[in-house]
This record gives sequence, C-alpha cells and structure tokens, in this order.
Amino acid sequence: MVRRRRRQEKEAAPVAPAAAPPSSEDDEAPEELSFGTARAEAEAERKLVGEAARRHRELLKEKRRRRQELFAEQKRRKLLPEALLQELAAAPPARADERSPAAAPEFSLDKRPQGVSAKQNEGRIPGQVKKDKAGGTRSKGNYIAVHLKDENLTGLHQQTAKDFIHSQLYGPGTNRTSANEFFSIANKKDLVKKAAVQFVDKSWGLEKKQRATKFTKYWVARKVTNTL
Amino acid sequence: MGEFEVHRVRFFGLVPAGVRCMAYQHNGRRLALARTDGAVEVYNFAANYYMEKVSGGRERGGQGWRLFGAGLSGDITEYDLERLRPARAVDGFGGPIWSMAANNDGTRLAIGCEDGSVKLFQVVPGGGVQFEKNLDRQKGRVLCLSWHPSGTHLAAGSIDFIRVLDVHSGRTAQRIMVNCHVPKSKKRECVVWSIAFLSSGTVISSDSFGRVQFWDWERGTLQDSHTVSSSAALSLAVSEKEDSIVVGTSAGATYQFQLLPVKAGGQEKRWVRTKPFQHHTHDVRAVVHTPTALISGGLDAQLVIRPLMEKVQKKGYDAALRKFTLPHRRLVSCARKARLLLFQFSQHLELWRLGSTNKTGKDGETLPLSRMPEHLLQLKSKGPEHIYCSCVSPCGSWIAYSTASRFHLYRVQHEGDSISVKKVPGVPKLLLPAYQLLCASDSGRLFIASDRGSVHVVQLLEPGGCKHLHTLRPPAGTREAVYLLASSADGNWLAAVSGDWEVHVYSLKHFKHHCTVPTYSCAVTALAIHPTTNNLFISYSDQQLFEFSIPEKQYTAWSRAVQNSGLHKLWLERDSPITHIAFNPKNTSQVLLHDVYMLCVLDKSLPLPDDSAVLVNQSTLKQLSEPARRRQLHAFKICKKFQVGSPLLFADLLDERCLVTVERPALDISAQLPPPVQQKKFGT
Repeated sequence: MVRRRRRQEKEAAPVAPAAAPPSSEDDEAPEELSFGTARAEAEAERKLVGEAARRHRELLKEKRRRRQELFAEQKRRKLLPEALLQELAAAPPARADERSPAAAPEFSLDKRPQGVSAKQNEGRIPGQVKKDKAGGTRSKGNYIAVHLKDENLTGLHQQTAKDFIHSQLYGPGTNRTSANEFFSIANKKDLVKKAAVQFVDKSWGLEKKQRATKFTKYWVARKVTNTL
Repeated sequence: MGEFEVHRVRFFGLVPAGVRCMAYQHNGRRLALARTDGAVEVYNFAANYYMEKVSGGRERGGQGWRLFGAGLSGDITEYDLERLRPARAVDGFGGPIWSMAANNDGTRLAIGCEDGSVKLFQVVPGGGVQFEKNLDRQKGRVLCLSWHPSGTHLAAGSIDFIRVLDVHSGRTAQRIMVNCHVPKSKKRECVVWSIAFLSSGTVISSDSFGRVQFWDWERGTLQDSHTVSSSAALSLAVSEKEDSIVVGTSAGATYQFQLLPVKAGGQEKRWVRTKPFQHHTHDVRAVVHTPTALISGGLDAQLVIRPLMEKVQKKGYDAALRKFTLPHRRLVSCARKARLLLFQFSQHLELWRLGSTNKTGKDGETLPLSRMPEHLLQLKSKGPEHIYCSCVSPCGSWIAYSTASRFHLYRVQHEGDSISVKKVPGVPKLLLPAYQLLCASDSGRLFIASDRGSVHVVQLLEPGGCKHLHTLRPPAGTREAVYLLASSADGNWLAAVSGDWEVHVYSLKHFKHHCTVPTYSCAVTALAIHPTTNNLFISYSDQQLFEFSIPEKQYTAWSRAVQNSGLHKLWLERDSPITHIAFNPKNTSQVLLHDVYMLCVLDKSLPLPDDSAVLVNQSTLKQLSEPARRRQLHAFKICKKFQVGSPLLFADLLDERCLVTVERPALDISAQLPPPVQQKKFGT
C-alpha cells in the first residue's frame, strides 16, 4: 500500500507544476514574455518543485525508517532476554506457561505482566486467565498498567473483624451521641454554666465572617486615627 | 524575670489515640499500653510513671509479658524493648486475633482467633514463639481468654457463650450459655467482652449487656450477677490476691468489686460492688489491677492511675491520682532563627510559620497580629509506620524525620512567601530506627540517636546533600537505645542519654567520648547544654534538677547547693515530667523549664525556697512593695497563666525577648474523639 501511494505521488509530481503556472498567470497582469524565457522559467520552476517533492519523499522515507527502527527496538525490549527465550523454547509448554508470568516482571522493562495481573484481579475465570497469560506476552492492548493491591483473605477477615467491633461499639442500639452534644450537656449541667462546645459547623458563613473581621479592623483603625 | 513577648500557639491539632489494651509486669513495675493506632508505650512506675519507651507499630490487640502483641492482622509480634521495635512476627493462621493470654509462669501463650479456634504457643526462651497445639474449635470468634492460675484450664468468651477448655486434652470441658434465661423474643446477641478465671473455679465474665457475672465452671451455674451499666462492660481485671476486681464500662465508669464477708467475722463471702469511679468520658477498653492501684485506659486517650487508699501506707507518689493524656515526649521542634514550628503527628508532619506583630503593649495585654500564622507545609509519611521522631534545623531549611525502617531528610527552600521541598538523595544507610534527631545550632550537622547507645553524626551540605561523618559510641557499650540528645551552641559537645539512664558526653571536635555523668537511679526527662558556660542541665523524672559542668567533669556548685538544701516539697510532688529545657541568652543564670501544667524560669542567682515558702508566688509578688518583694523572691518563677485545661506541649525562647508556647486545649481534643455513650442527665 505504501509503495502504491509512493507511485501515485511520483505521477502526481510532474502534473502539479504544470497546473500551477496557468493559475499564476491568471492572477498576474498580462506581461510581455518571449516564449524562450517563459519556457526556461517554467522548466526551472518545474525542476524546483520536483526537487522539493523528492526531498519531501526522502524525508518521509527517513521518518518511516526511523519509526521502523523504533518499533524493532521496542519489540526487542518487550521480549524476554535471548537466553531465557531459548530456555523457554526448550522447556515443555506447560512449564513455560507457569514460568513466564512469574519471571516477566524481573526482566522486562514494560509493565505488561502487571497489567495482566490487574486484568486477572478484575475477576476472570481462572481457566481463561491462563490462556491470556500465554498469548498476553505478545498482544498489545489499549490499557493502563496498574498493580492492584492483593485483595486476599486476611484483608477480608480484618475488615469483617473491624466491622464487627464497630457495629458492637457504635452500631444501632448502643445509644451514642456526638462528642459535641455530650460535652455541651456537661457544660450546661456544670455549676459554672458554659456555652456549647461547638455551636455550628465552623465552615458556615466563612465569607461573612471574613468580611466582619475585615470590617472590625477597618473600624478600629478609623477609631484610632480619629482619637489621634 | 523580665518580660517576654509570648506566642501562644494553639494550632497544633494533635489528637492522641485511644487506649486499646494494657499489660502490667509486677516485678519490674512497668506497664505496657497499646493504642488504637498501633503505638505501644511502656510506663515505668518506679521512675514516677515516666513514659519510657514508645514503639510505633500497626493495629494491635492483646498482650502478655516479655512483651507480645497481637492484632487484627493475625500475627503475634514480639517487641524488642531495647531497640523499641517489633522483633519477630509469627502468623497465628486463625484470622484476626482477638485475645491473647499468657499463663502464670509465662511459658505458654494462648490466642483466641476470629475463626473460633484457641491456639497454644510455646514461648521460646531465646525469643519468639512456637506453635504447640490447637484446642477444640467451635464457631464464633473468641473475644477473650483467661488462664486458670494452675495452668490446666482456659476460659474463653465468645458471642453468647463461655467455654472452659482443658489444656491437656484440648477438649471443651464446659460450655455455658450466657444468655439462656432471657426470653426468646427479647434476645439480642450478647458479646462476652472480658473474662477472668479464679483459682477457686469461679469464672467472671463481663458482657455487652453491662453485666458482671460469676459462674461456677464445673457445674456451669450462675453464682451471682451484677448489672453495672446500661451499656457494655468492656474490660475486667483481677488483683493478684483474687479478692478484688475492676470493671470498665462503655459509659466511661470503672467499678471495683470486692470479696467481702457477708457478716463481720463470718466465713461466707460474697462479691460486692464497692467503689465506682468516673474518670473517663469514653469507653474504658482496658483495665489493670495492681496491688495498690486501679489503672484504666479509655478511648478518650487517657491513662488513669487511681490508687487504692487502703493499700497505700504513706503519702508519696503512689498516693496521688494520675491522669496521662499526652506523651511525655517532645512532639514539637522549633526553628528559632526562621521562627518556624514543626509539629509531629503519628503519620505526618506540619510546618508552620509563627505570626508576628508590630505593636508593643503592657504586661498581660494581647497584641494584634500583623501577620497571621501560616501553615507552610504538610509532609505525609508513606505506609503504616509511625513517625518516631522529627526535627527542623534552626535556620528552617532542613527537615528530618524517621520511621521504624526509614530515615528521611528534606531540604526546604524559602523564596519570599513561596516554599519548595526537595528530598535529599543519598541519605547514608544507617542502623535504624532513629530514636531522636537533633540539628546543631549552626544547622551544619545532624545528630541521629540510634540503638546500642550509638549516635551518628551527619554533615548537612549545601545545597541539599549529606555525608556521614562519624558514629559515637559509649566506651563500655550498652544494649539500650539513645532516646535524648543535647548539643552545645558552640558545636563542641554532645550529650546523649540511653535507655539505661546513663548520660554520656562526647567531644565533637575529636569525635571522642569525653565523660559520663554520675549515674542517677531515675529516668532523664530532658537535658540541655548552656550556650555560654557549657554546663549540662539535667532534669530527672523524680523532679530532681542537676547541673553538670562539662569542662570540669563534675557537678557545679549550684547543683551541690540544690542537693544540700533540697528542692521545694511542692516542686517534688508535681506529677508531670519536665520535657524541655531552654536558656535565656541574655541572662546566663536563667533557665526555662516546662512540663504539661506549668512554665518555670529558674533563676540560679536567687536563693532557693525552703518548704515554708510559697512556691507559686508570682501573683502575690506583683502586689507587694519593692523591699517586701526582694525578701520574698526565690529561684523558681512559675507561670501557670494559660487557659485552664489546656496542657502545655512545648515552650521555648526564640530570642531574649520572645517566647513561644504550644498549648493544646483539652476540650479541642475531646471534641474530636469518637462518639461517647449518651447519658441521661436530669433536666436536660
């Protein structure tokens, strides 16, 4: 396909300058030109355009070549080291399956193996996962590699234990109040009567309070200057 | 005394974590205490209840001695009390561990697990534990465990029932339903929170219905039942003689029960509820019964030591009620030149710039701020480990902190109002954890206190680098870690206190051990070196003060005079240790000391007060005429002039005219605690 496009470009290249001069002639005012000079001019122009096209093509070629190299390099990087690959090829397929996901994080630089494990954690059927591991080394996916925390059994146990203690101490039927209410009642019942611990949420009316402090400052300053 | 411009800082938002469990060792008179955030603290009762050791950990549960911890993570951890860190961990393989109990001779450890199993572990003399066997397993988490004093049987409390297990055969010998007499329609699940097994064969249980019940385990019958509270009775402890128990409830009250004869002189004895105490506002999760005192720890983060007056012979330290909420350590460090404060929380650090004023006023006036205090920086420590110690350099451009396994050094750049932080790469790999960090007064060196009595000296290099210079070690060697440091202003001397309370002085010029301060049989709570005279000022946990001249290697004349005449009685009866010492740079005879309740300027040039003099006399002195004031003056100038119920966490002199104090109002702490149990008050 690339080659075909290139051929098209080659065909198009000489046509383009031929089409260009008439349009320029149309724009410009009529001018007296001898046929010889006009032809020389046209030829020079065509040469110039041809040159430009060639350069463009070369640049493209260079770019493609570079990208090709990059791909090759990346592919090489993604692959496991030579020695290990050979070893894997030598080993029976069942064992290779087991080893590749375990060994991969140590040798490879990209994060695919972890990505695989992340997929695994999303809840696939174990049988399917194994297939994925085997093919997964080669395939490219549109994903972000994330290493999820191991959601293991002890974590779950710990959570249920914490939930139990929370429901027993703070759950329904335990008759808890907020700290604010508790201490406010103590203040109210005190021999020396005091105000509530916190009246309201302190974040309420923040703007108004700021304005008030600003105003107080201004008022004090004015008073001071007046008295002086 | 002179006048100071005082910065009264109240923006340190420290909320101490609640007390989860406690263990008491009778021989050493030490109490181990675990908090809900996983920190473990050790209090030494012989050294005036001084909090000796702190070890940051993870979520933990119960304890035995040779300190073991277990928690919802399912591991049994042994703590290394010399290096103040978890030493070994063994998986219990039974899910989260709810309870742990050691038998009387300390050879076996039983754990109660989430899955309903009770497992026995052998305590290996060298260190660690080894699995021995599983006892009979039944459904339902084992929330509490207690050994029979003879070690043949174990009582285990679960939800709705108690089991008594035969240790030898591993079989369930008795199963008692706690809740069987309640009609089925009213049945709620009854959680047995705590249990105790007496040598007479009585099993005592406290449950979520607020009952304390006494059972005969062989017959499985109820002997006695007391409802102490409408909320849960969470904790229970028995005295060694088994004639008294203490119960802690969810409503914050503790009750003492005593085994008393029914008739005077009669043989028949019954358990009688004798004394109620209401020292806590929140749930009492842990209680301990020592021979002379009831100790309770609650979710309001308070440790209360209530002495039993009938057991106390003479008036002394043991006869006073003690409450501890805040740690006996310095959590604030101050950059004097840059006017910054660094606050240490369990998982993060906060850096604040002090506000400033351009007004002056008379004594007692509150000056308006021209610039508000500013929160510059918050450094969060990664992972579950707690921050052991932290420090900021006097110039404010270095911040260091250490967790159990990592040491971090940051370079802070101040450009006008903006601030940038960069982690210093290539921090030398040292023996960790660091127990105390200290920056030299010229910000050129950092001293790192480490285990086995060693102190690492690290040079701080501009811009943002560091180099390990030397490690100072005591000549005789020690197994204990260094927990306090002090360096001199001229950079020549460094004093280090290790856990065996030895004070070593090193010369920093030659990196050599210079001398050792004569050993005193009490814990050092604070020390500092005077900037001009190079005298080492030491305060001990029994409130004694010593001054030691480093160049002359002996106690100074003032210190000898203090020892000859003795300190004031009220001074010695204070119950919180001095946590920081500072000096007035203008007046060489003035020393600034502070503890949680007071701030004291000690003037060495004035005579010491005798016991007949009034110790706290600043307010009376103010009203006296000049000659009368002369006569009344004495060395201790004590100031308690801060808000009632707002403990003082830190006080330091920024310069000769400026003082900074960090207060933490107790009400602010209690407003942030978990919800307490509602108590009906008449008329509200």
